[in-house]
Amino acid sequence: MATDINAPVDNSDPPAASGYPGGGYAVSTDNSSRRKLYSRLFYLLCVLISGLSVVVLGVLLVSIGWQGHSRLTWDLLQNSHSELNPESSGMWPSIIGSVFICGICAASALPLGIGTAIFLEEFKPASKPLRMLHSFIQLNISNLAGVPSIVYGLLGLSLFVFMFNVFGRIQVNESSGTELFGVSHYYQVLSLAGGGHTVLIPQEDESQKTIKIDEPTQAVSRDGETFELAIWDPASGQPKPSDPEVRKRTVRKGQGGGAYSETEWYYLRLPFGKSFLAAGLTLSLVILPIVIIASQEALRGVAPSLREASFGLGSTKWQTVRHVSLPAAMPGIMTGAILAMGRAIGEAAPILVVLGAAVAKNSGPQNLMDNVVTMPVLIFNWAGRQQAAYQELAAAAIIVLLAVLLLMNSAAIYLRQKMRVG
Amino acid sequence: MKALNANISTMSEVSRSATPQSDSPAQAEVTPEVCIRIANFNAWYGSFQAIHNLSLDVPRNQVTAFIGPSGCGKSTLLRWINRMNDIVPSANSRGTLMIDELDVLAQTTDVVNLRRRVGMVFQKPNPFPKSIYDNVAFGPKLHLYLSRAELDELVEWSLRKAAVWDEVKDRLHAPALGLSGGQQQRLCIARAIAVGPEVLLMDEPCSALDPASTLAIEDLIYELREQYTIVMVTHNMQQASRCSDRTAFFFEGKLVESGPTQDVFTKPQEKRTDDYVRGRFG
Repeated sequence: MATDINAPVDNSDPPAASGYPGGGYAVSTDNSSRRKLYSRLFYLLCVLISGLSVVVLGVLLVSIGWQGHSRLTWDLLQNSHSELNPESSGMWPSIIGSVFICGICAASALPLGIGTAIFLEEFKPASKPLRMLHSFIQLNISNLAGVPSIVYGLLGLSLFVFMFNVFGRIQVNESSGTELFGVSHYYQVLSLAGGGHTVLIPQEDESQKTIKIDEPTQAVSRDGETFELAIWDPASGQPKPSDPEVRKRTVRKGQGGGAYSETEWYYLRLPFGKSFLAAGLTLSLVILPIVIIASQEALRGVAPSLREASFGLGSTKWQTVRHVSLPAAMPGIMTGAILAMGRAIGEAAPILVVLGAAVAKNSGPQNLMDNVVTMPVLIFNWAGRQQAAYQELAAAAIIVLLAVLLLMNSAAIYLRQKMRVG
Repeated sequence: MKALNANISTMSEVSRSATPQSDSPAQAEVTPEVCIRIANFNAWYGSFQAIHNLSLDVPRNQVTAFIGPSGCGKSTLLRWINRMNDIVPSANSRGTLMIDELDVLAQTTDVVNLRRRVGMVFQKPNPFPKSIYDNVAFGPKLHLYLSRAELDELVEWSLRKAAVWDEVKDRLHAPALGLSGGQQQRLCIARAIAVGPEVLLMDEPCSALDPASTLAIEDLIYELREQYTIVMVTHNMQQASRCSDRTAFFFEGKLVESGPTQDVFTKPQEKRTDDYVRGRFG
C-alpha cells in the first residue's frame, strides 16, 4: 500500500475492536498531559537525588584538598611519623604496613573465598542432608556480609592475637607463647672491648632470664661467628688483655647478662600477638563474604551451555571448573577481589582493635610477628590531634589513601573490560 | 581405546578400524548391527514421568532421527544416553540402556569414560571462549598425553572431518566466538569427534542456524555416519527425511513408531505418525 508521507498524520485513537471492554469511556486529554507531567517531575527528582550525592562527594574532596594540599609532598610519602616535629612527619611506614597487611589479606581471603564460591556454585550436592548443609552455609555467608567490621576485629583479637590463650599468654618484649621457628634466644653479655660491645651466649633454659658468666663457654659474635669465650678474672692478678681482638672475645668473670632474642623474617609463634599477620588475617575475615558473594555471582554468570559442553567431552567436575568455569568467571572474580581489597585497605576499626592505635613506627614490619601502622590508623591518630599541622597531614594522608583506592578501582574496571574482550 | 588410537593415526586407518561394516553397506541395511539397545526405559524429572516404558534399538553407523512434538521426551532420552542428565538433580531413570556391553545407567559406570565414547553436539553452538585450536584440543587434553605435533595432527584431522578446516586453517589461534554460527557448530562437531567417540548425540544441531549452514551440517552428518553411530533430535521433518537412515517418532513420552526413515515418512503404521509427518500437528 502506497502511503503519502505528506498526508496529515492521524493521531486520534484507533477504533476499538467491537466488544473491547475499555471502550465507551471518554479519553481525557487532561489526564494524559498530567501523566506526562508526573513522568517529567519524577525524572527531575531522580536527577536531583543523584546530583546530591555527587555534590556531597565533591564538597568532601574539595575540603580535604583545601586542607591537605600544602602537605602533599614527597616528605609525606618518605618520612615516618614524628611526635615532636609534625612539619617533617610522613606516612611511609603506614603505606608499607597497609601493603603488607593487604598482601596477607589477599593471600588468605582469595583462595578461601574463591574456593568456597566454587564449592557453593559448582558442587551443589544432591542428597538431602548435604543440601541442607549447603543452604545453611549459603545463608550464613549472606549474614556474615552484614556483620560490622569491628565485630570481626574482636573475633580477630581472640582468634589470632590471643588464640584463646591456648598457647600461653603473650608478654610484651619477652619470648612468649609457643615459638615455632625463625627465632634464636641468647644472653647478651658485655665484653672487655668496651663501648657497649657485647657477645651473645646461646640460651639453653628459656625460663632462666639472666646469666652469670663464671667459666669459659661457647659464644656467638654479632656477625654470627661461633667462638670460645675467654674469662678474665681480675682477682687472679692476671693483666687485662690489651689486644682489642682478644678483648672482644673475653668477658670479666662474674659478668651478668640479660635475655636477648634474634629473629629471622619468617619468625612465627603461636599465638600471633599484635602482629601484621594477625591484622591481615582479621581483615581477610572482613572481606571473605564479599569475595565469596562476588565470585559466586561471577560463576553463576557462566553460561550453563559451556559447562554442558565440557561435561559432554568427558571432563570431570574439577576439569570443568579449572578449564571452563573459572576462566570464564575470572573477570568477575578479579573485579570482586580488587573491590574487596579496596575495602580492606580502608578499614580502620578491626586494625585498631587488633593492633591498637600506636603509630610510633619508623619502618615496615621486620618479621611476621612485627607490629605495623596502616594508613587508616595513622589518619585516625593524626586527625584526633590538636595541632593544625597534624590536621593538615591527616587531610593529605586521606588524599593519598583515596588515590590508592581510586587506582585499585580503576584497575578493577580496566581488568573487567580487558578480560571481557579477550 | 581402539577408536582413540585410530584418531591419532591417519584417516584411512580410522575408517577401516572404526567401520568394519562400511565395506558392505547393502548388507548393513538389511541387518543393522545394534549399537545402543534401549529396553523398558522410564525417565522422570522429579515426579513427572517424561518417558514411559520405551524400547528402541539404535543401529551402528547409521543416523537415527528422533522426531516428535515438544515435550515428547526425545531430548530427555538423548541426554540419558551419555548421562548428561546427571547434572539435573531431579532427573531419574529406570530400565535398560546398553551401548554394546556397557550398562549406561549402572551406578558403577564411569561417566567420564562414557562421555568419551558418546560425544554430544548441542542445540546452540557452544564453543568455549578460547581459540579455535584450543576448542578442539580441549577434549584430547583431558584424556590423553599427546605431544605438540600429535595434538596438531589430531586437531587438523578433527577439523577436516568436520568440514571446517579450509575455513579456519589460517586462523587457528583466533577466538572461536568470531566464527559464524554454522562454522561454530561444525567446530563443536570437530571438538566432539576429537576425543574419539563411537556415538555422536546431536540435540537439534541446526535449529539455531541459517538454511545454508544447516545444509552444510546435514551433509556433514550424512558423511560422519560412515564412522559414527549418530542419534539426532530434530524438529524439522525435512531434515529427518534428508539425512537420517532411521526415524523414531515419539509422542507424550512414548515411542509411537520407529523404522527406516523412508517407511516412517511414506507409509507410517500409526495414524499419529502420519498426522505428524504431514504437519497436521506438533
